[in-house]
Amino acid sequence: MELDDLKYIWKSKEPGFHPKDESEIAQMLKGRSKSIVEKLMRNVWLELIFTFVAGLGLLVYALQMPPGALKWTTSAILILLVAYTIYYIKKILLLRRFNPAADNLRSTLETLVASLSSYLNFYKRSYTILYPIYFLLGLVFSLLERGANEFLEALSKPRTIIILLLVAGIFYVTSTWLARWWLRKLYGDHLDKLKALVNDLHS
Amino acid sequence: MIKEEQNFINLINEHQGLIHKICIMYENDTDVRNDLFQEIVLQLWKSFPSFRGEAKITTWMYRIALNTAISGFRKQTRNVKTEDLQEVHFNISDYGGDDHEESFQKLQWAIRQLSEIERAMIMMALEEVPYEDIAETIGITQNNVRVRMNRIREKLRKLMS
Repeated sequence: MELDDLKYIWKSKEPGFHPKDESEIAQMLKGRSKSIVEKLMRNVWLELIFTFVAGLGLLVYALQMPPGALKWTTSAILILLVAYTIYYIKKILLLRRFNPAADNLRSTLETLVASLSSYLNFYKRSYTILYPIYFLLGLVFSLLERGANEFLEALSKPRTIIILLLVAGIFYVTSTWLARWWLRKLYGDHLDKLKALVNDLHS
Repeated sequence: MIKEEQNFINLINEHQGLIHKICIMYENDTDVRNDLFQEIVLQLWKSFPSFRGEAKITTWMYRIALNTAISGFRKQTRNVKTEDLQEVHFNISDYGGDDHEESFQKLQWAIRQLSEIERAMIMMALEEVPYEDIAETIGITQNNVRVRMNRIREKLRKLMS
């Protein structure tokens, strides 16, 4: 079967559809986009606002606190929130530049894979690296506040060790599970699909 | 309504068949198809100010519509059974009579069996989009387009026989 035969068949009929009238099209222009980029952008905006509000609240709280481990921990979290804010702003600027009209399908797919991967990796890194770091930081601040002797004495008790390990374990497992569940709910297997399409184009 | 918006609506009105065809080829469910139609129109509208007429209007529309259908659109979960819908939409025996209708339905069904990239390529080829523009829209070389088109034609031949 030659391409011309297929063209002949293709042009012999129009697939059945109900044409949209002008008012329907005009209405569509007022709708909300469901594209993956728009969705990603909305989520990043939400996280940025949440980070900003949480940071502001923490700052007010930290300023009223007496010096000590809690204040240092709060300050360290504030530094982290500033880093998150910078990341979110960079991400929004990047997503705003995304334009499917300017790029071909291959570039669009590659850009989306890179963007979505970096976003998901950012979360995974946050949960796998930053939480243990903050857990250790908490211990260091406690050491500084209590003094080395008292801290080591408390830490040498099996009960303290078990409690610390339990808290760390529960916190880590719950937060990681929640993050994975949330990301899967938001983006499902879309990234896998995009990667498969890129591979198809490279093959 | 501003002039630019009216011009855009006229453009969509004139070429909506192209968008409908892409929606039909990429989605089974009517509701999801309508969502995709709207998404394509929104993306075209977003890009309309930057369209300067350097490319053919249909090539520009194909680029955005296919980019949206293949990469950018995240369908909502609606618990739709694809196989069942394929049965509903493409059960050729239901059509009886008209040979053109039967061949056309068979071709539509066969195209839907192809990969998403292949679907995009064959649709453009069937609409007489030059290989040069197909290569540019997909982001591969013209040589690659030729090789892939041969493979696609062979697949379709097998599917339709």
